[in-house]
Amino acid sequence: MGAGRTAPDEHELLARSLRRDPDAFGQLVERYASSIVSLAYRMVGERADAEDLAQETFLAAFKALPTFRADAKFSTWLYRIAMNKCKDWLRARRAAQGALEAEAEDLFAELAVDPATPERALSQRQVADHLNRAIQKLPPLYREAFVLKHVEGLDYEEMEQIVGVHRDTLKMRVYKARTHLCRALGALQETR
Amino acid sequence: MGGIEMDESELLLHRFVDNDLTPEERVRLLTALDQDAVLRRRLLEIELLVAEAGRLPRLAPSSRFVAQVRARLREAGATRWSRIRDWLFTPRALRWNPAGALAVAVMALAVVIGVARVAIDRSAPPAPYQVSSESTVLVRLVLLEPQARSVAVAGDFNGWNPERTPLSRVDGGVWTATIPLKPGRYHYMYVVDGTQWVVDPFAREESLDGFGSRNAVLDIEPPL
Repeated sequence: MGAGRTAPDEHELLARSLRRDPDAFGQLVERYASSIVSLAYRMVGERADAEDLAQETFLAAFKALPTFRADAKFSTWLYRIAMNKCKDWLRARRAAQGALEAEAEDLFAELAVDPATPERALSQRQVADHLNRAIQKLPPLYREAFVLKHVEGLDYEEMEQIVGVHRDTLKMRVYKARTHLCRALGALQETR
Repeated sequence: MGGIEMDESELLLHRFVDNDLTPEERVRLLTALDQDAVLRRRLLEIELLVAEAGRLPRLAPSSRFVAQVRARLREAGATRWSRIRDWLFTPRALRWNPAGALAVAVMALAVVIGVARVAIDRSAPPAPYQVSSESTVLVRLVLLEPQARSVAVAGDFNGWNPERTPLSRVDGGVWTATIPLKPGRYHYMYVVDGTQWVVDPFAREESLDGFGSRNAVLDIEPPL
């Protein structure tokens, strides 16, 4: 994510943003827009919803900026806000189906490989589409862990700060997500 | 958690991918991999998955995304005073039509009359030692008749003579006159263009004139 490529003036932009300078914060938005929109898209699966959630994320961050601790990474803090927005959104959408984790087992059982069996080799784009769809079918808590770990490339320490869950729990979620996604992609490989 | 049982080998595979094994665990896993083709296949699948996930394209936000967020940030960052200032000084186009303008004019006249009456009441001399029956009150008469060429008032106070008390035209088709009246009850009507008798639309009270028409009624209270 963008955190590793932080430009030297990020602290200055944050300082100006803390003085309620919307233009300074706007520059931070430009810097992190792609990361946050992509993260939201991996979580909710719809571009329009992802952009709405990203907008809400940036606005919430701007309002809550006085609570941001200078010793933390801004990107980590932003990710945490974005993830909470996404989980609230998913929770609202799935309200009728019960708690997120309670249904993990059932949802795993519903994971299905796309039945399409093209005779030709799949392109990289098709593999990416297939993986993306399979990620969308993961229960949200597992999806969150997998996306942060392998799509965004974060380490467990940073994930702990974002999700607020012990790293051992996060590891198990990542392992389970990998196992199910391997099944999905494995079935895809067999169709090649 | 979840619906998957993981044996020790599977767990070791995942921890190996995360580079999370102790040296002893690593030796044990590599030994198992050397002997177990299925385990090697499992490791390959996980590594492929991790590689594919890392290659997923990052989504570029739509062209209007940053502009929309910036606009909302400006709203969120605006102080109360800056919002008031913006509201006061932002240029606006006034859209109007004759009916709306007429309605506004009538309302404005009503306000003018009300203020005038209050002002007259308040400006009346207290005269605590004067006989109130001898005091006069200035009354402002107002009629909206944009098309009229002349307007006069005729009533008890001028012998119903339409030529004695003409009203003057002011802006917007408003006709007005201020006349001194002693306290009492008066009946009157406006006369438009010398021939058309009109009841004051702002009269608080009307009365029959005995000829099938109505007069406006004006009650003048003695000043306090």
